[in-house]
Amino acid sequence: MISYPDATADVSLNGAIPVALASLESIVRTEELHTRPRRPVEYEKETAALAALVKALADSPRTILQTLADKILEVLQSDSAGLSLLTEDEKRFYWAAVAGVWKPHLGGGTPRDFGPCGDVLDHDAPMLFRHFELRYPYIWRAIPPAVECLLVPFYLNGKAVGTVWAIVHDDSHQFDGEDLRLLESLGRFASAAYQAVESIDDLRSEIAAREEAELGLRELTGNLEVQVRARTEQLRLSEAFLAEAQHLSRTGSFSWRVATNEFTWSKELYRIYELDPGVPVTLEFILSRTHPDDLSSFYDVIDRVTTGAHNYEYERRLKMPNGTIKYIHVVAHGTQDRDGRLEYIGAVQDVTERRLSELALDKARSELARMARVTSLGALTASIAHEVNQPLLGIVTNASTCLRMLAADPPNIEGAQETAQFLLSDGHRASDVIKRLRSLFSKSSPTMELLDLSAATQEVVRLSFNELQRNQVILGTAFDHELPPVHGDRVQLQQVILNLLMNASEAMRGVDDRPKQLLIRTYLDEDDNVRLTVQDAGVGLEQSDMESIFEPFYSTKSDGMGIGLSISRSILDKHRGRIWAAPNPDGTGATFSFAIPRAAKDAMTVPGPSVFKPRAAAHTGAFAGGTL
Amino acid sequence: MAPRSLISVVDDDESVRRSLPNLLKEFGFAARSFSSAAEFLASDALAESSCLILDVRMPEMSGPDLQRELTRRRRALPIIFITASPDEGLRQPLLEHGAVECLFKPFTETVLCEALGAALQTTRHCSTDNDQ
Repeated sequence: MISYPDATADVSLNGAIPVALASLESIVRTEELHTRPRRPVEYEKETAALAALVKALADSPRTILQTLADKILEVLQSDSAGLSLLTEDEKRFYWAAVAGVWKPHLGGGTPRDFGPCGDVLDHDAPMLFRHFELRYPYIWRAIPPAVECLLVPFYLNGKAVGTVWAIVHDDSHQFDGEDLRLLESLGRFASAAYQAVESIDDLRSEIAAREEAELGLRELTGNLEVQVRARTEQLRLSEAFLAEAQHLSRTGSFSWRVATNEFTWSKELYRIYELDPGVPVTLEFILSRTHPDDLSSFYDVIDRVTTGAHNYEYERRLKMPNGTIKYIHVVAHGTQDRDGRLEYIGAVQDVTERRLSELALDKARSELARMARVTSLGALTASIAHEVNQPLLGIVTNASTCLRMLAADPPNIEGAQETAQFLLSDGHRASDVIKRLRSLFSKSSPTMELLDLSAATQEVVRLSFNELQRNQVILGTAFDHELPPVHGDRVQLQQVILNLLMNASEAMRGVDDRPKQLLIRTYLDEDDNVRLTVQDAGVGLEQSDMESIFEPFYSTKSDGMGIGLSISRSILDKHRGRIWAAPNPDGTGATFSFAIPRAAKDAMTVPGPSVFKPRAAAHTGAFAGGTL
Repeated sequence: MAPRSLISVVDDDESVRRSLPNLLKEFGFAARSFSSAAEFLASDALAESSCLILDVRMPEMSGPDLQRELTRRRRALPIIFITASPDEGLRQPLLEHGAVECLFKPFTETVLCEALGAALQTTRHCSTDNDQ
């Protein structure tokens, strides 16, 4: 639809309509058209006009209405010609094209309900007006005045939306039937042409809209392409990151459709299994790479996870074609889709290095434990020799005496018998010492039994007494002989106690400004745990050492191995107990303690004492001295 | 017949106290045993002994402690130290402080005899097994 300019050039009446106006009938002469002499039909002119219109339509469809006005002027021998179109609000007619004398009034217009155009539309028929200014005085303003005006309706899509008109401004000429025919003909053509233009316009705007949309789409597409490229790059990067992360962490990922045994593996998983990327993975292949010793447990896992969606986690070994063993840790999450199809998504981590170092560490640890035992043994050599040499001297001496008594004249049979008895007793004593040493240093597999920690501690105290005394340690003991039993390995706990005693003795080696007092206590603590404390007056510990001394290889001693306490801690761990150190309240030395849960009340009573007979009360301040 | 020389044994180990005096008696000596240095110092054997067989390591007063105490009391008594700890480093200082010998347990009767001979400056009691 063409746009309408502002109505400033409106020739319509501004102000009140005059009182005495001519009636419509008085100015309409339509009927005369049929009675007036009709000039000959001018087909040539008409054809030429139509041809011009067609050309205009083809060349410049925008000006088709003006061309129409020009042609009407030419063909009808009128003074002015034009086209009026109803405005969008249908309140006015707008002179869309004007030719001839009235051309300067292009853009003017008349009201819809009070003017010749409105009359034509009301009657929906051609009309001839004579001096219409008699009824519509506002048209006076359009100069020169119209004598006769012939109008025909202008249709668009079957609806009258305006008029096509021709005017003569003097009486030299009158419109006739031929004029009407020509105007109607041109008007029809104009309708069709205008409609075509409008269609073209619509088409154009549609095309433009489409072009615009396409442009937008192209931009969008362009943006999308950029975005897709960027996302693809991001994806590629994140895939690369993922691959890199998988490679670094030696973790591959997989999915497994259980029903069809379809496997999807990440690149890293192919690497772990040493399979060329892209080669289809089968369960048979996975089984073939599984270490023969782990096959049956792997079958168990498969049996379990194929019965329903589970989460599973297990570790197994792989055996590569070249014989290399790999340890893999598998974590998987099972899901079932709507149709009940089972699928597992999981991660496989190559933990070979970790396992191998753990195995190496275990081996080193047990080796160190053995060394620590040997070290303790070495430190105790003097004590052990002392314990053995005492009865040996008795044996040798009694044997000599016995021989001398028997060789005397007369032989002292009675004396020899008595001496032989002493000899026998010393032999038993030596044998006991050996037995006890063997149980303390050669036994390796833990044997859990109910035991009395006080009695076990006393045995260690007796063994280490000489060693402690050699270091001028003043030993005080406070054993609770009513302690409930604990469930534990006697030898291991005795090793811990021995270690604590040796450490305490060592810590006091350089002390010369105070007594080298060492106090060992056993008691039932406030948490109902059986506790042992070893309090020394040694060099003490830094606060920062309190925890780290229990770490392997940590030592505050310049010549220490740093093994004893870490092993002690692992032993206490096995006993569900704990071991710790604390500085003494008086600021000198440290106290090492361990605590073990008391055995359940319904546990059996403590078995009889070992080769050692528990001594009678050796209470606070008593020195645990004497012989074995 | 001259009274037999008294040999005193001081050792906290019961089996030593039980066995060694018997052998010394077989050698022809008189012998007494004491379980601690204090016990010996409190007895008349302190004045009557010709020789002291003394354990090095004992609770409270040790062998060397008793040696120093005797020196302090100007009681010159030949001392044969005996010890169950095979520590060579222990031996030399004891000898330097006047001990006749330091024997490591277990020792043979021959070694003991030689030490007694050195202590009493005679080989009379040990040279023959069948003196009596």
